[in-house]
Amino acid sequence: MKSARLPGTRSLKLALGAVRERTGAAGAELYVKVGRTRRIEIDPWTTPPPADPDDLPAQVSILDERGWALRAGGANRALFLADSGPLPEPNGWKRLSRHSPRPGTLRLPAPSSETSPGITPSASAGAGEREPDDEEAAGLALLQGVLRGLGERMPEARLIRGRLDCGASAAVLASTTGVTGRTALRLATVELDSAASRDGRLGHCRLYRAASNLHLLSADSIASEIAERLTLATAPAPPFLPAGEVAVSPALGCYLLALLAPLLRGRNGWRRLRKLGADRPLGPPQLQIVDDGALDAGWMSAALDDEGVPTRAVALVHDGEPGEPLLSWEDDGWSGFAAAGCRRRSGWRALPELCHSHLYIAGGSEPAESIRTGIVHGCYLLDRAHDGQCHATFEPSTNGSAGRLGEGHFEVDAIGLVIRRGAVLGEAPRVRLTGSVRQLLQGIRAIGDDLRFLPAPGAVGAPTLLLTGLQVEAIG
Amino acid sequence: MRSNANGAEQRPLLTSDVAAPADALTRLVARGDQEFEAFFERVESVELLPKGAPNRVRLRKEQGLAVRKIENGRSRLAAADTISGPAFAACCDRVAGTTRSIGTTPPRIRTGRWPALRLAQIEQAESRLTRAVNRRRVGFPMEITARRHRRQVQVIRSRMAAPPQFEEYFSLHVKTPWGVWGGLLPSLAAEDLDPVALCLVDRLRSRGLPPHRPGPGVIVLGPNAAAVLLHEVVAHALEADTLALSGSPDQVVGLKLGGPELDVVDDPRSAPLACKRSSDDEGTAAISRWLLRRGRVRQPLADLAWAERCPSMIPGAARRASRHRLPGPRTTHLELLPGAIPERELFAEAAGGLYIGEFDRGNLDPFDGRCVLRAPCGRRIGATGPRDHTGPIEIRSRAVDLLAAVAAVGDRPLAGGAGWCAKDGALLPVWARCPSVRLEGLQVAD
Repeated sequence: MKSARLPGTRSLKLALGAVRERTGAAGAELYVKVGRTRRIEIDPWTTPPPADPDDLPAQVSILDERGWALRAGGANRALFLADSGPLPEPNGWKRLSRHSPRPGTLRLPAPSSETSPGITPSASAGAGEREPDDEEAAGLALLQGVLRGLGERMPEARLIRGRLDCGASAAVLASTTGVTGRTALRLATVELDSAASRDGRLGHCRLYRAASNLHLLSADSIASEIAERLTLATAPAPPFLPAGEVAVSPALGCYLLALLAPLLRGRNGWRRLRKLGADRPLGPPQLQIVDDGALDAGWMSAALDDEGVPTRAVALVHDGEPGEPLLSWEDDGWSGFAAAGCRRRSGWRALPELCHSHLYIAGGSEPAESIRTGIVHGCYLLDRAHDGQCHATFEPSTNGSAGRLGEGHFEVDAIGLVIRRGAVLGEAPRVRLTGSVRQLLQGIRAIGDDLRFLPAPGAVGAPTLLLTGLQVEAIG
Repeated sequence: MRSNANGAEQRPLLTSDVAAPADALTRLVARGDQEFEAFFERVESVELLPKGAPNRVRLRKEQGLAVRKIENGRSRLAAADTISGPAFAACCDRVAGTTRSIGTTPPRIRTGRWPALRLAQIEQAESRLTRAVNRRRVGFPMEITARRHRRQVQVIRSRMAAPPQFEEYFSLHVKTPWGVWGGLLPSLAAEDLDPVALCLVDRLRSRGLPPHRPGPGVIVLGPNAAAVLLHEVVAHALEADTLALSGSPDQVVGLKLGGPELDVVDDPRSAPLACKRSSDDEGTAAISRWLLRRGRVRQPLADLAWAERCPSMIPGAARRASRHRLPGPRTTHLELLPGAIPERELFAEAAGGLYIGEFDRGNLDPFDGRCVLRAPCGRRIGATGPRDHTGPIEIRSRAVDLLAAVAAVGDRPLAGGAGWCAKDGALLPVWARCPSVRLEGLQVAD
């Protein structure tokens, strides 16, 4: 069976005409999405792996998704309706009537001068239109490779759960304001839960990786990452923890940046971000934080967002100072800033929401290795601790003063190494990194050259970072 | 055509003869150890957001099907977002790995009409809840989002078709200046909204209080809190896939987990009226399953695949979050059978202890059996029962220690503790009926 095809914009416009006629709505928008995902789930306790990938005890699912969403209304009344299956024919909207819209409001973007209707930035990926015959075999081979690599590196390690999703989707939208657009994406993700026990110490690791193509995921490097994390998670606690510098890997850097996301979007985030700096720079001059919906080779890269607004790179923090806020078209012109396409839908059932696409700290010029080996007395933190804390609090202080919570406070449990003069002194199976958001940004001393993206949701990227002024304590 | 407690008409999902797809599935069977199953699903969710929200009414409808081949304990599933003969035939081809696997003519598959929308009952939720709060002589700003969820399911296996299943329930999300309350309700009638109002008022009275760390002593859990405790440390712990992480699932049968006061049953047939299930999401008849009988493990939760691997297990507890997910063993409606102790006596000699009315979060680590339960607030127990409010409470303990600490079970079971179970990212509604319980000598982990 071939994948479902998207309707043309002419079909959408006919349907929009029918909707307006029946509901009397001033405006309407239709969004249609199709997608196909191949999912492979492997059962627990499968080490050592079989020699033939086809013999892996795997459950395979082939999922065709197809649905559409309608927004209709005006200043006083609005309607949101989503349904699976193909878009109804123009005469199939009989159930809608003038009473269908309920109290509410609907605003839709107008076409931008930069909008090119029918743009398909990732159309070369053939999202939703083709299905590589070798996808399932490649997926099974990848999982078998991870199991084999893990078994070689750490025989006591076991894979508890493994899931690989590989798929493509395509979407088309049109509105009565004249906005039209097409997008297409291809994505492969792998999520692996592992455990190991050494000398009675049980450790866990959850790894979630993504790539725009299954063949870009390396079984060897994934196995290596899991073994590295399990080795740390099952190590004895260190007798002491030096409270000096902290270098964080790109993986942990991504989690830290993801915690700051509320400060980096919308008008409210912008106000808080500016307050954070007070009279001082937010961070060092080499600090650049960017959100780019059209990032070259990014997983989510698209010329248009899910409302048909053109995407672009937005420098949220530029040279260590607040740059420009991430604003949707509704806030275009606020404080003199221009909007960017940044409203995305988590699926055809969802309404578009302001969110990041590729949020990242731009890589610096310093080699990551020299940051790690340059630690005089401190820690190198590799990743989040399994099931540990990872949150930030941004509650405003209740008494109106600029208290600690007013500037945001974060807490992350991590695994890592204790370093002295560049040499590894021991492992740190569980440490808690805490501090204020201001301390986190202003304490950045070096930015590595190894920018890496992780799925967050969306894509979040960070290079190796050298941090000072934060609290590190051993826990558990 | 019947009506349920909420007045929704139970229309059949499939109006065409189920024998046609059943025959087609039979033709797929190439070997005796293969089994084929078709799962038809229709879901409707109506959401009413607080006044002033854009697109305040949000209606989501979807329907689709999935065909699954089970062979040697392995599944191969193909799903589509439409219900039709050609979609069914295409899914059969995918799981069979051939074209025209069920012949050249797809079976005729038709669906009935969607049930009537009935928005009025959702629109009344806000005023009813506000009235229930005001009856307690308080008032505060609330942003209420009410949702109604409906789901119709029909499972056809190669040799049988289970009766169609229909579920209808509601969820509420209430945002106040001091936090968010969320939960499931069987209806939006006043008697179901009243306990929500009680929770909201308790949270009002405990707002701003510092976290409370429970020390050794007596803890009395209300029915809602007891239900969450049992969901984590009995239901999740006795799901076959969870048990398989640490050994063979059937080895736990007979294991003593608690005292003789603990009789715990999972019975989807006695769930709230509009959520009762006579068969599970694999079409197997639902049963009243003793999870714990006088504190000992009797029958873990299993689906067809686990029952095939462990012959002592009985299927009938399979649930799937959607047609796009494989089924797994899960609880549906958990019941703790009442004890002989009157509710009031649970508080006897408990002065200085804690009363916890609800947990808003629970988690069980399947590897080491540690459980974390978080309550947004609690009350200190005085000479006459619960008195002063406390701040948030977090209980960290091993599951076996929590069960061993159950010293008494009340005599008045109440429906409560319903919520979303999110194991493995699959969101499923779960229901419970429990009396209050009294914990003594609880070992709290660091």
